[in-house]
Amino acid sequence: MKCEDARELITALVDEELSEAERFSIEGHLKDCLRCRFVYEEEQALKREIRAAGFRLSASPELRSKILSDRRIFPRPERSSGSWTERILPAWPFLRPALVLALGVLIILPLFHLMRTPSEPISLAALEIQKKIIGGEMSVRKTSNLDELRKWQIRAVNGEFAPVAYDLSSMNVQPVGGVVQEVNGRKMLVTVYAGKGLSFTCFTFLGTEEDAPKIASIFIDPDKKMKFYSFSKDGFSAVLHREGKVICILVSNMSGDELLALVRAKVQPS
Amino acid sequence: MTRALTRNAFSREAMAHLDHLHRVAVHLVKELQEADDLVQETYARALGSYEQFAPGSNLKAWLTRILYNFFFDNYHIKRRWVSVDDSSAEKNEPDYWEKVPAENPGPESHLLLKELSTKISDALRKIPEEFRLPITLVDMGDFSYAEAAEILSCPIGTVRSRLSRGRRLLFNQLKEYVATEEKKRAKQ
Repeated sequence: MKCEDARELITALVDEELSEAERFSIEGHLKDCLRCRFVYEEEQALKREIRAAGFRLSASPELRSKILSDRRIFPRPERSSGSWTERILPAWPFLRPALVLALGVLIILPLFHLMRTPSEPISLAALEIQKKIIGGEMSVRKTSNLDELRKWQIRAVNGEFAPVAYDLSSMNVQPVGGVVQEVNGRKMLVTVYAGKGLSFTCFTFLGTEEDAPKIASIFIDPDKKMKFYSFSKDGFSAVLHREGKVICILVSNMSGDELLALVRAKVQPS
Repeated sequence: MTRALTRNAFSREAMAHLDHLHRVAVHLVKELQEADDLVQETYARALGSYEQFAPGSNLKAWLTRILYNFFFDNYHIKRRWVSVDDSSAEKNEPDYWEKVPAENPGPESHLLLKELSTKISDALRKIPEEFRLPITLVDMGDFSYAEAAEILSCPIGTVRSRLSRGRRLLFNQLKEYVATEEKKRAKQ
């Protein structure tokens, strides 16, 4: 086979789009031709980079809200033509006391709720912890040995769960320490990474996606079949996702979009 | 009632492909605002004819097809993106790339990933549309050759040959940034 005839077959080999016969033929050529083997490696590497660049490119929150508020796409629910009393009060008179009782409960319950001391959502508490760590108000166990830190953190929660770890070495960012914190009676494993002017703190705890704050924007990754919750406060960005029974929040001084792209690129479905 | 719910469920499912449609759109048109408009119109069109979508079939491909058709009908002729003469790329690849200024690689930094993504997107936008679209669909969109061929209304063989030539054009532009196994071995 001539090298110029091999080009398209190399492309299809990279994309796994070859018939058995074609695969046999091109693999035979690659065994004998160093130049084409380089071309194959180059094309594989390029495809990998293009794919990763794609993952880092996501629609802006503005576009998302523009579409969600476009009434051609999400029309308002139609209203009946009856008067408001007809719409609100049930047609059967014996149901009216039940309606009054339900309305009473609806009014009283929020009052009880307001009287309670509000507790901060665990996800927003993570941002407060990040602020304290950066400001030196909270000390962490300093170590660059992630394995050692991990073992210590797992012991601290009696082996119930393990911290989610990120490999950020390609950005020259390394683990520098960690701590175990308790928020609203729930233990959080905190791992701090730093390098090149960037700081990241990873919070792992037992929870559900209900732990995402209401202010978070939700991003659904159809390829990974995962949801990511992006939010920010006091100059820090955060992205929350679920891995089985644990929730992981990565907090950073990166912009929200960059952090979301990074988490989406790093995280694999559990 | 059932119909309205079905429509809402369809809208929600379609929204899961927003990032993908955005990725394709930014590589079809020149301005980000145009790309956003293109995506929004795609959703409006898709929801206008959602009953034509066969449940269980590939929604991502269906939406992409609508986006591409809308682009072709409304943007393609009037505002076709031509940063360089397409024909020179067809005839002579080295001459074509001489017109595209090669940028300095710059020092490695914490923004390396973002930088590389920007360079890839920029380089992709500079190559002719006929090569750019198959790369966007297959490499960024994870479509098979058959799906890409259906979206672009062309034979599968055309997708394969354009991918091959398009990737070569891109690689020539990005070779300093793409880490092959050979480069990794050389570094060690």
